[in-house]
Amino acid sequence: MINDLSKIRNIGISAHIDSGKTTLTERILYYTKRIHRISEVKGKDGAGATMDFMELERERGITIQSAATYTVWDDHHVNIIDTPGHVDFTIEVERALRVLDGAILVLCGVAGVQSQSLTVDRQMRRYKVPRLAFINKLDRSGANPRRVSEQLREKLGHNAVMMQLPIGVEAAHEGVIDLVTMQAVHFQGDNGEHIVRSEIPAELRDEAETAREAMLDAVSMFSDELTEAILEERVTEELIHQAVRRGTLSRELTPVFMGSAYKNKGVQLLLDGVVRYLPCPTDVENTAVDLTNDEAPIVLSADPQKPLVALAFKLEEGRYGQLTYTRVYQGTLAKGTNIVNSRTQRRHKVGRLVRMHADEMEDIESASAGDIVALFGIECASGDTFTDGSIEVAMSSMHVPDPVVSIAIKAKDNKAQDNLAKALGRFVREDPTFRSAVDPESNETVISGMGELHLDVYIERMKREYKVEVQTGAPQVAYRETISQRADFHYVHKKQTGGSGQYGKVAGYIEPLPEGDERPFEFVNEVRGGAIPTEYIPAVEKGFRSSLDKGRLIGFPVIGMRVVVNDGQAHSVDSSEMAFQAAARGAFRSCYAQAKPIILEPVMKLAVEGPSEFQGAVLKTVMQRRGTVIGTTEEGGFCRVEAEVPLAEMFGYATDLRSQTQGKAEFTMEFARYLQCPKEATETLLEKYADRRRDEE
Amino acid sequence: MYRRYLNARSPLRLLEKGLHGGLGPGNLGLVLAGPGVGKTSFLVGVALDDLLRGKPVLHVALDHTVSHVRVFYDTVFEDLAATTHLANAKAVHAEIDRLRRIRAYSPGAFDAKRLREALDLEAGLGARPELIVVDGLDVAQRSREELAQWGAVARASEAEIWISAPVGSERIPSLPEPLRPVEDLFGVILALEPEGAGHPGGHDAVALRALKDHDSPDLAALHVALDPKTLLLIRS
Repeated sequence: MINDLSKIRNIGISAHIDSGKTTLTERILYYTKRIHRISEVKGKDGAGATMDFMELERERGITIQSAATYTVWDDHHVNIIDTPGHVDFTIEVERALRVLDGAILVLCGVAGVQSQSLTVDRQMRRYKVPRLAFINKLDRSGANPRRVSEQLREKLGHNAVMMQLPIGVEAAHEGVIDLVTMQAVHFQGDNGEHIVRSEIPAELRDEAETAREAMLDAVSMFSDELTEAILEERVTEELIHQAVRRGTLSRELTPVFMGSAYKNKGVQLLLDGVVRYLPCPTDVENTAVDLTNDEAPIVLSADPQKPLVALAFKLEEGRYGQLTYTRVYQGTLAKGTNIVNSRTQRRHKVGRLVRMHADEMEDIESASAGDIVALFGIECASGDTFTDGSIEVAMSSMHVPDPVVSIAIKAKDNKAQDNLAKALGRFVREDPTFRSAVDPESNETVISGMGELHLDVYIERMKREYKVEVQTGAPQVAYRETISQRADFHYVHKKQTGGSGQYGKVAGYIEPLPEGDERPFEFVNEVRGGAIPTEYIPAVEKGFRSSLDKGRLIGFPVIGMRVVVNDGQAHSVDSSEMAFQAAARGAFRSCYAQAKPIILEPVMKLAVEGPSEFQGAVLKTVMQRRGTVIGTTEEGGFCRVEAEVPLAEMFGYATDLRSQTQGKAEFTMEFARYLQCPKEATETLLEKYADRRRDEE
Repeated sequence: MYRRYLNARSPLRLLEKGLHGGLGPGNLGLVLAGPGVGKTSFLVGVALDDLLRGKPVLHVALDHTVSHVRVFYDTVFEDLAATTHLANAKAVHAEIDRLRRIRAYSPGAFDAKRLREALDLEAGLGARPELIVVDGLDVAQRSREELAQWGAVARASEAEIWISAPVGSERIPSLPEPLRPVEDLFGVILALEPEGAGHPGGHDAVALRALKDHDSPDLAALHVALDPKTLLLIRS
């Protein structure tokens, strides 16, 4: 256990899918001696990169799960939280970002800042994560670190400062010039493990001097001491490091490192940068909410002596049972002690505590504030907070978006039913954006999530991890209904079937909530003089609320509606809560059509990137899908098309885009907003709904 | 009718009244301004005027990203919609988004040839912009031959092309020296200057003044004050 918090770094490595993140992670583990051989990503030699431990990930060459692994560099304890590289898994990225103190933003030296980098960067900004940049793949043809560094400034608005210069690029890439020490650095040995520092080659001397001056200029903004030292020509390495660290922590400076992870160049210097410039747990302020005081925010202190506060940020069912990845924010988490889940109030005993290294683990006795460890066999959900029971706090709730797409699934044989239930139970606990429910009408199991790929991955995991083959229905878009104008209602519910009858009368109107009001529903009681007895008002509200689950246009939930009840009548014998609920439902039925209901559809923000020559083809794929092109950016032979496209039109887009662009373009997509469905699409939906209802009868 | 009111606050109304008939299709217009005075806002105002009339617009950004430009449009539009109580603002907004294309290039990499390529591409998709605004072109560094090419593109596409160019100082008393030799290539040349007692971080208004109006010698007719944030007319 490391007691000195200044020697802990919790970092993430975040990047576009193909920028070589997994290779970089693996090299880091190699140089820090956590693994003893290097294998390639995408399973070329069958072993696969160590971080990519899920079979599925191995096959696709991408990392989906954010596992945490720890390693040691220069006497510092570094926890690496692997963040997924696809927008469909945004919740995973965001959860991982929550527990990081700093991050490496990996950029491809050829393609530079791509759409995914933009998304990830925006997320990091939201979670206030200080970053270093690593420009990778300098050995590739077309690599240009200067241009990428410029893009960091222009496209991402970073105050990017190159800390290094390349010695040769493309096939001639040999090493880097360290602008702090003003030395040439070469990486020798079979795996680049021997660092050889020498004089800067004469032909690069001038360029290096200029670049160092620019670096000092930018960095001195953060240190008066350094500014003075520059004037008096007594700059020391230590002064530069201090200034860069200050700038990085304030998130007003992004130091840029470079090299080629694949060719074993530059990784060790990047690690030095991580240790020198990225924050330790005490540099970052973390807050929780006080559950005893109306969720008022309280600042946690990374003090091992204080009461425990820990966040379960990731669940995983590995081959040894259920693992809960946990970040300790305050206090100490020790084996054999009791901890309390703030959400469920349940008490758990810490049986086993481990440190994770990809898919191996090491038992430990305790972990203190600032550390990231895994708990064994604790029942909980992702995002739960644990304390020692002496305080009632929760880490502030994380923003969880509503799912936008759903799909009906059915196990292919009945024997698999049990396993299916098990799989769904676990996925739901692991990922709050993944939901599972049984449709009461069709009795089908319906899973929902943030995109087609998101659901595809879970369907594959069912097959691989739980041996459940499922049949899937067509993906279903999460439409909404809303009303567009005011409509009055005046409804009497009356039933007389011997004995006591049912009687309830309600009057009032429904109207759209004003634009910008995010609430799904508002109920306003304006009944005067007890026209409806007060005790029945909740029943009226309940009746309206129950009508919202299924709109009368196409059977989707109704949002953005205000109900105002201003009159009614009760009967001294025949009125009941049930009667008023029924009256409210009847009132809604009677006036919904007059309120001119419309369909809202989820619209996705789409970004497609590829070589400029395919721009026309890409634009066409957008137009064909009722898309609105927002804009196009052209740079260095690449173009990026940004558009908004209804989700309903995006199924199968990956395949179509591949065939239109010979597989050279790629896209990212995330939910943007709900928009009114245009007339033609509305008509199609109405017809389909009518057909379905006929079939059901 | 709301839209007419919306458009009544556009600086374009003045161009049409003050200038003798506006810029006109096939012509190049140039607007000069110092740093931070509002080149982009002015062009966005001009573009919105056409967009609100249902005309397609191409916006070329040379020193902004696509999303940055979009925020400009959204801000000016929302301000307009709020102050004029525009009905059905959401639908109008969506329509504007559909009619507008933003294209971002790195500043050095854009010229008349790239513009022609972009227009061909748009034409292939069935969109012919009637107005093209080019934000942040270093006009003073371009050759006369190249600027003549821009004129040719304007005539061939029958579009109005408004170009904004940065100048070094806030005050622009007359056409800067380096632009004199190419003055004849532009139909209209305007200058934007801060007006009123400046306080830190802003100024009271922005003055719009004509430095050239086709062949008309009467330049005094156009001199108006615009809101410094949205560059819409302060007094209509």
